[in-house]
Amino acid sequence: MLRAIARHTAVIAVIAFIAFPVAWAILTSFKPPPEIYDLSPLAKHPTLANYDAAVTQFPLGRLLLNTTIMAAGVTAGQVVVCVLAGYGFVAFRFRAKRLLYAATIGSILVPQTCLIIPDYLIAARLGWVDNYLGLIVPQIAACAFGVMLLRQHMEAIPASLVESAKIDGATHRQILTRLVIPLLRPAISALAVLVFLSSWNEYLWPLLIASGSGNSTIQVGLALFQTQEGSEYGPMMAAATITTLPVLIVYLLNQRRVTDAFLHAGLR
Amino acid sequence: MTAIPRPWGDGRELSVPLRLPSPGPALYLLPVVAFLLVWIYLPLLFTGVLSFLHWNLVSGSRPYAGPQNYTQLFRQGEFARAAGNTAAYIIGLLPFATVFPMAMAITLWKHPGRASLVYRSLLFLPVVLAPVAVAISWQFILAPLQGVLDTALTWAHLPAPDWLGSGATALWTVAVITGTKIFALNVLVYLAALAAVDRGCLDAARIDGASEWAVTRHILVPLLSRTTALTSFLCLVLGGQWTFVNIAVLTQGGPLGRTDNVYYFLYQYGFSFFNTGVASASAVVITVVLAITVAAHQFAARRLVASDQ
Amino acid sequence: MNITLNQVDRHRRGLTAAPAVCALLACVALAACSSGSTSSAGGSGTAGAAAGPTTITFESYNYGTPDLGGQGMQQLISDFEKAHPDIVVKPSGISAAEIYSHVVAQASAGNPPDIAEIGWSKEAAAERNLPVVAVQDIAPASQLTQLQHSLSPQALAAGEVNSKLTVMPFAMSTPTLYINATLFKQAGLDPAAPPATWAQAKQDALAIKKATSAQGIALAADNAAGSDFLTQSLINSAGGSLIANGHVQLSTPAAQNALAMLQGLAASGAAPKVSDTDATALFKAGKLGMYLTSTALLKSFETAAKGSFTLATAAMPGFGAGPAKPTYSGAGLFVFSKSKAAQQADWTFLQFLTSEEGFTVLTEDIGYLPLRPDAIASPQYLAGFLKSNPLLSPALSQFEHVTPYQQWSGAAGDQARLDVQNNCVVPVMLNGANPATTCVSVGNQVNQLLGAQ
Repeated sequence: MLRAIARHTAVIAVIAFIAFPVAWAILTSFKPPPEIYDLSPLAKHPTLANYDAAVTQFPLGRLLLNTTIMAAGVTAGQVVVCVLAGYGFVAFRFRAKRLLYAATIGSILVPQTCLIIPDYLIAARLGWVDNYLGLIVPQIAACAFGVMLLRQHMEAIPASLVESAKIDGATHRQILTRLVIPLLRPAISALAVLVFLSSWNEYLWPLLIASGSGNSTIQVGLALFQTQEGSEYGPMMAAATITTLPVLIVYLLNQRRVTDAFLHAGLR
Repeated sequence: MTAIPRPWGDGRELSVPLRLPSPGPALYLLPVVAFLLVWIYLPLLFTGVLSFLHWNLVSGSRPYAGPQNYTQLFRQGEFARAAGNTAAYIIGLLPFATVFPMAMAITLWKHPGRASLVYRSLLFLPVVLAPVAVAISWQFILAPLQGVLDTALTWAHLPAPDWLGSGATALWTVAVITGTKIFALNVLVYLAALAAVDRGCLDAARIDGASEWAVTRHILVPLLSRTTALTSFLCLVLGGQWTFVNIAVLTQGGPLGRTDNVYYFLYQYGFSFFNTGVASASAVVITVVLAITVAAHQFAARRLVASDQ
Repeated sequence: MNITLNQVDRHRRGLTAAPAVCALLACVALAACSSGSTSSAGGSGTAGAAAGPTTITFESYNYGTPDLGGQGMQQLISDFEKAHPDIVVKPSGISAAEIYSHVVAQASAGNPPDIAEIGWSKEAAAERNLPVVAVQDIAPASQLTQLQHSLSPQALAAGEVNSKLTVMPFAMSTPTLYINATLFKQAGLDPAAPPATWAQAKQDALAIKKATSAQGIALAADNAAGSDFLTQSLINSAGGSLIANGHVQLSTPAAQNALAMLQGLAASGAAPKVSDTDATALFKAGKLGMYLTSTALLKSFETAAKGSFTLATAAMPGFGAGPAKPTYSGAGLFVFSKSKAAQQADWTFLQFLTSEEGFTVLTEDIGYLPLRPDAIASPQYLAGFLKSNPLLSPALSQFEHVTPYQQWSGAAGDQARLDVQNNCVVPVMLNGANPATTCVSVGNQVNQLLGAQ
C-alpha cells in the first residue's frame, strides 16, 4: 500500500513537472491583458475574450482543417511506406540489403534545415507550391524512423509463425496483411501517433510552402500572434489550447491500441 | 528465458518455397527509395554542390568558391563552439530519451488500470500543445525577477539565476525544456515495445522468488535493449534538431553563443544571412560527422544486443 | 524445384532496380537544377484576358494578425479594391521575422510576390539579393513628384538608395520613453517632467528603485530580433554614428560613451540585467518605471496598463549636448513585378497605402507613425485622433530629428549587425563587460568581417 502511494506520488511529481507549462498556458488563456504576467494561476477577472479573439479574428477553422489534412496525409503516407519498406527489409534477402538499409537510415542524418530550400525548389518545379501536395508529399520522406521501428518489431515476430503461414501456402502479400500487420498494431499505432504529432508541430516547411495566413497551418499561424507591435499572449494561448484538442483526440483514440491488449495465443 | 528470435527474413530457415513467384522486395522498397531519392538525397547533392559556390540562390552568377566556405567554417570559432554545444545538448537529452522514459513506461505498464491511462494522457500534454506556446509558457515561468520559479526560489531563500539569460544555466535549461517533450514521446515508444512482452514470464520469475527490482533489471531492461538502442540512436542523431525550436524562440543562440548549436547555426546562415555557401558547408560537415558517429554507435549497439542473447 | 524464393528474388531485383533508380534521379535532377538560371517570370501579377482585373500578390506582416492591426490592414485592402475594381489584391500574412526568407525562397523559384513588406534593416540585403524594382521606375513622373511633396523628407530619405526612390516608405516607428506614471508618483517624481538626459534618467530610475519594489529603467537595445535601431539611436544621439563608409565605428568616443551609459545603468542597479522580452513583461506587469522602446508597442502597452497603472510617454532622452537623434525601425514596401500591367497596379496600390487614408489606418489601427504632415494636420484624418491620444506626440515631435537608419551593406552585413548586438551590446548591458575594450575588440572583428567580403 505504501509502495503504491510512493509510486503514485513519484509519477504525479514527474507529470506535474513536465505538464506545468501546459497548465500555465491554459490558465493564461483566461486572463485579461493586465493580468497576463500575474503570478496567481487563477485570473482575478477570468475572461473568455481571448477565446473570442482567437476564434473571430483568426482563421482558426481553416488552419485547423489545413493542419489536420496535412498531418493525416503525412501519417497515412508514412505508415504505408514504412510498413512496406519494413517488410521488404525483413522478408527478403538480397545482395544490396545492408547498403540500402544503411542508406535509408542515413537519411535521418541530413539536417532538415538544409533540405528545405532544395525541397522548395523541387516542389515549385512540380507546381506544388501553396497546395496540399506540396505540404504533404515531401514530409513523407522523413520515414527513416518509421522504417527502423517497424523493422525492429517485424524482426521480433518469431520465425515459427511465419513458417506455419508459409506451409499453409501464403504469399508475401498474405503474410503481410494477415499475419504481420495485425501483430504490429501497437507499433503501427505508436508510429501513427508520433508521425501525426511531428507533422502537426512542423513549422519551417509549411512556412515556406504555404502562402501565409489563411492558407497555412496552425504552427505558422500561431507565430502571427507575435507581432511587431507587441505580442498578445492571451489570444495566442487560447488559440493554442483550442488547437490542442484534435491532436489530443488522435492520441487518446490510439492509446487503446498501444496498451497491452495483446493476448495472441500463438505467441508463446 | 525467452530468446530474442532470429530474423526470419534471411530465408535460410525456409525449407518450403512459396507457391507463386512474387515481384520480390522491389515492390515493397520502391516507395521508400523513391521518396528518399527525390526529397532527401537529391537535395543533399544540391547542398553539396552549393557548398562549393558563392551563390545567393537568386542571381545568375554563381562563382566557384573552392574550399573557401569550408575554411571559413573552421576558421571562425563560432561553428566549433556550436558543435561543442550540440554535444552538450545530446548528453543532456540522453537521460530524457532513455532512462527516464523507460522507467516511466515500465511503471505504467506494470500497473495497468484507470490511473495509468490518466497518467498517460497527462504525460502527453507537452507534446500536444504547440511548440511555440510551450516555449513561451516556459519563458513566463522562468522569467527573471517576476516569473513563477524566480518568486518561489526567492521565497525559499534559494539563489534564483536568470535561467535562460545567464551563460552558465542557459544551455542546460534549454536541454531540460526540450527533454520534457522527448520524455513523453519516448514513453510512447517504450510502451509500444512493452506491449509485446508476455507478463506470464514476469509472473513466473516472481513466483520463483525474484525481487521486483531484479525482475525489472534482469528481465525487462534487456528485453527493451533494442528499443533503448533505437531511442539512444535517435537522441544522438536528432537531439540537436529537437532543441532547435526552443533555441529559436527562447534564446536565439545567446547569451554570447552559449546556447547555439550547429542546426541553429545552419538556420541562421541559411535563412537569415542567406550565406548559402557556408550554410551548405556546415550541413555537409554535420552529415558526415553524424554518419561517423552513427557507424560507431551501431557497432556498439550491435555488440550490446548480441551480448544479451 | 528447390529454388527458394530468395534466389529468384535476387535475379529479378538486381536487374530491374538499378536502371529505374538512375532514370528517376536523372529526371528529377534535370527538373530541379535549372531553377536559378531561368529568367524569373517576375511577380505573379496577371492581367486577365482582355479587360479582366489585374491581380497582385502582397505579402505583409501586418495582414492576418489577430488584432486591430490585422483588421485595419484588411480594411485598407477592401477599401482599395472597392475604389479600384480593376485590381485585385491577394494578401498573405507572414511574420516579420520570416518574411524576408520567404521572399528569397520565392524569388529563387522564379516567383517573387508583387509587393512585399520588408524591414528596414534588410533593405541593403534585399537590394543586393532580390530582383527589386525601384518605385521611381514604376511611377509616372507627375505622381511621383506629388508623392515627394506629400511625404515627410525623413520618410523619403529612408526609401532612397543613391538618391533614387527604391523602396516605398510605409511603416516607421521611432524610440519613445514609456513611463509608468503611477510608479513615478510613488517615487516622488513628476510624470509631466520626464528626464531629458540619460544622467537624469538614471537618477529617476534609482529613485524609483529605492521608493518602490519595482525596477527603474530598461532599454530594448538587446532584443530578440537582433535589431540595432536603438543602438544606432543611442550612438547618433551621442554625436557619432555606428556605421560610416562601410566600416563600423565602435572605437569612437560617441560609441563608447553610449555603451558606457548603458553599462552605467546596469551597474548602478538602475536597470535590471534582463533581455527585452523580460523587460517588456516587467513593464506590462507594472514593475518597471521607464522603458525605452519602439512606438509600435504603444497599443500593446495601453492595453496592458488599463486598470493597472497610468501610462505616459516622453521623448527619448539625450546625452546633454543636444536633442536625441533617433533612427527608425519598421518596414518599407518593395516591388518585384516585372510586367508593366502589374507595375501599374502596384503603383496604384502603393499610392493608396501612402495616402492620407492609408496613414490614418496605419496610425490609428496598426500603430505606426504617420509619414504625411498633411494627414497629421487635417481634422478629417488624424488631427482628432492625435489630440485624444497624446501618447504618440513626443515621438512625433522628435521625428524631425530622425536620422536615416545606417544600412549594413555587403554579404556579411546581417552577420555583422548580429555580431555587434550579441558580442558588444549584450555583454556590456547584461554581463558587466568593459565598454571600452569590448567596443574595440568587437569593432575590429566586425570590420574584418565586413572588409573580407
